[in-house]
Amino acid sequence: MMDSQRLLEQVESTATVLQVIRRSDGYLHVSIGSQDLLSCLIRARTETGFLVLQLISVVDRIEDGKFQLTYILENPDDSSILILSALFPREGCTVPTLSEIWPAAETFERELHEMYGIDFPGNDRQDEEFILEGWKDKPPMRRDFDTLEYSIRMFGERWPRNHHDPRQFIGERVGEWETPMSGEEGS
Amino acid sequence: MDDMSSMYCNCKPEAPRSQLKAWAKVDELARANSLWVTAYGTGCGAIELRPLHTSRFDMERFGIAMRPTPRQADVLIVSGYLSVKTLKRVIRVYEQMQDPKYIVALGSCTINGGMYYDSYNTLNVLDRYLPVDVYIMGCMPRPEAIIDGFGLLMEKIKAGRADGWEHYRENLEWYRDNQKKVIPKWDLPDYNW
Amino acid sequence: MMFALVGSIILTSIAALVWGLLLGGISRNVTAKIHGRIGPRVTQNFIDMWKLFRKKTSIHHGTMFWLAPMFRIAGAIGVLILVPLVVGSTVLVNMSFAGDLLLVVYFMFFGCLGMALGAGDSGHPYAVIAVSRGLAQMSSYELSFSVAVIVIAVGLKTLSIEEIVLAQQNGLFSWNIFRFPFASAAALITFLPMQMAYPFGIVLAPQEIPIGPPTEYSSRFLSFMFSGRAIFGVAKLVLFVNLLFGGASTWIGLLVKTFLLYMFPVFVSSVFPRFRTEQSIRFLWFIPTSLAAVDLIRIMVM
Repeated sequence: MMDSQRLLEQVESTATVLQVIRRSDGYLHVSIGSQDLLSCLIRARTETGFLVLQLISVVDRIEDGKFQLTYILENPDDSSILILSALFPREGCTVPTLSEIWPAAETFERELHEMYGIDFPGNDRQDEEFILEGWKDKPPMRRDFDTLEYSIRMFGERWPRNHHDPRQFIGERVGEWETPMSGEEGS
Repeated sequence: MDDMSSMYCNCKPEAPRSQLKAWAKVDELARANSLWVTAYGTGCGAIELRPLHTSRFDMERFGIAMRPTPRQADVLIVSGYLSVKTLKRVIRVYEQMQDPKYIVALGSCTINGGMYYDSYNTLNVLDRYLPVDVYIMGCMPRPEAIIDGFGLLMEKIKAGRADGWEHYRENLEWYRDNQKKVIPKWDLPDYNW
Repeated sequence: MMFALVGSIILTSIAALVWGLLLGGISRNVTAKIHGRIGPRVTQNFIDMWKLFRKKTSIHHGTMFWLAPMFRIAGAIGVLILVPLVVGSTVLVNMSFAGDLLLVVYFMFFGCLGMALGAGDSGHPYAVIAVSRGLAQMSSYELSFSVAVIVIAVGLKTLSIEEIVLAQQNGLFSWNIFRFPFASAAALITFLPMQMAYPFGIVLAPQEIPIGPPTEYSSRFLSFMFSGRAIFGVAKLVLFVNLLFGGASTWIGLLVKTFLLYMFPVFVSSVFPRFRTEQSIRFLWFIPTSLAAVDLIRIMVM
């Protein structure tokens, strides 16, 4: 198991570490500058042995005007985990593609392109449909996309419904409201 | 689509022929007591169908059986929320079933959107896209509730009122318009039977 | 004469259909009881048949697709009229003649071949997979079944089913199952894949290739196919009763024997998982064939 201190030193040698979010034995989660992301990922793969790209995820930090991209890497030899986070500007977000390094990244990036509208120049398949078929609106997972408004516009107003307080409703239907246990407490 | 055109029928369905009253009664009795269900789970409700056809609730005692292919089935259970992408497949499955056919819709999601009422890709009201014969409410309905719903469907069939498939055929234009409105990429043939 | 023959064939077929559907209903019930369920009505198969027969159909896949259920029924009735149902009966048809055993063994696979062509015509990929599996399995159990039949034919020195039945009328121990125990065991093992029972149920395999050959068949086609299967089931049962269990001299005897024999694959089927194709074929080639060969060698030497 690789010591997290050694991991941190290796990350620091290629990138400016903004914040250490969490660290423990064989586990390091750091936030780094977005300009160093690609070189840091390549270095982690080629020299430190983080061969597996487990996930690319995005958090839409709309208050800061940023997308936070998180890359989870695993070293299959000693199962240590390295997580790199970087912030990218939200408008016209462009992120370097990893599809040359990890072919699996191509699919992750397709999903992010479809759901958040992040552009990955160099990924040839990013314009293919991933889950949505024939989506024409704004990417649906961005937080400025109003799903309720879209739902009403697309699928129509839902039918009105009555609200019932369960206790009262059941009481009307079956009479006295009693929990099954209440009668047995005395005996 | 061109090379596939021979696989589909490209004409509208014919009107049903009238038949003898006495035959119709016998047929309805037989249909009500032998409901075959397409094994197609669209949402989380499919998990409630497993207890239904295993030992505890055993729906085979009512003559309800699962069929693995839509060609042989009478009932399509839309089990829970229906995404736009699934709706396309459900339409294909429903139109490949042979008349007469019935739809049972499970859960609040099919009635008014349920907890997914504000989702960008799940339908709110199933009745606008497919003719539903019986709604079973609940999130999800328990197997007892589903058995109760099937009892309702049997009564409807025996009374000759389960005519959703005829309604669908008569109002095909209206249903198609609604379906095409929510499915942006409509790459189905116009008639899939 | 001609009129009586046709009437007799129709009567026999209807009787076989009713008995086959009833057996199917009973077997569904028995399987349900083994699972700990209540199970359907005994008459459920009749209701299903009627419903299917009255359903509309709008599918056309070519001529062979239409003909396949007819092939199935024709094959079933063909076997049924050749085997003597009740010895000495004047009501039920009996076109048994010298050498009919060979014809029956051939004719048993006629329906399956028609089914294979029809399923291939339907164009559904699962149907084609199931057909290729079914034909592979058929060629493997046909071998052991043929060896078992040869043992009986050589041992009794006849190729007529009627003579085989008559040779077994001298008490319980003149039955072929006691005369040729190994060959009988082999024949009973091959009875399982013939009834598509587990562990040899690779043709229908509902969890894997949705029910295989009849995937595209619906409504009236399916009801014809079911009736063909019911008649064929009864024909096979009668053939096995005639070959191994001394035939039947009364109605009651026939019903009891076919019922008991029918329950054998039902019980085996409801407790076994399914073989893969190559496992099934390997098993059927080696185990039953060698069992039957033991008896064959015994007869040749003695």
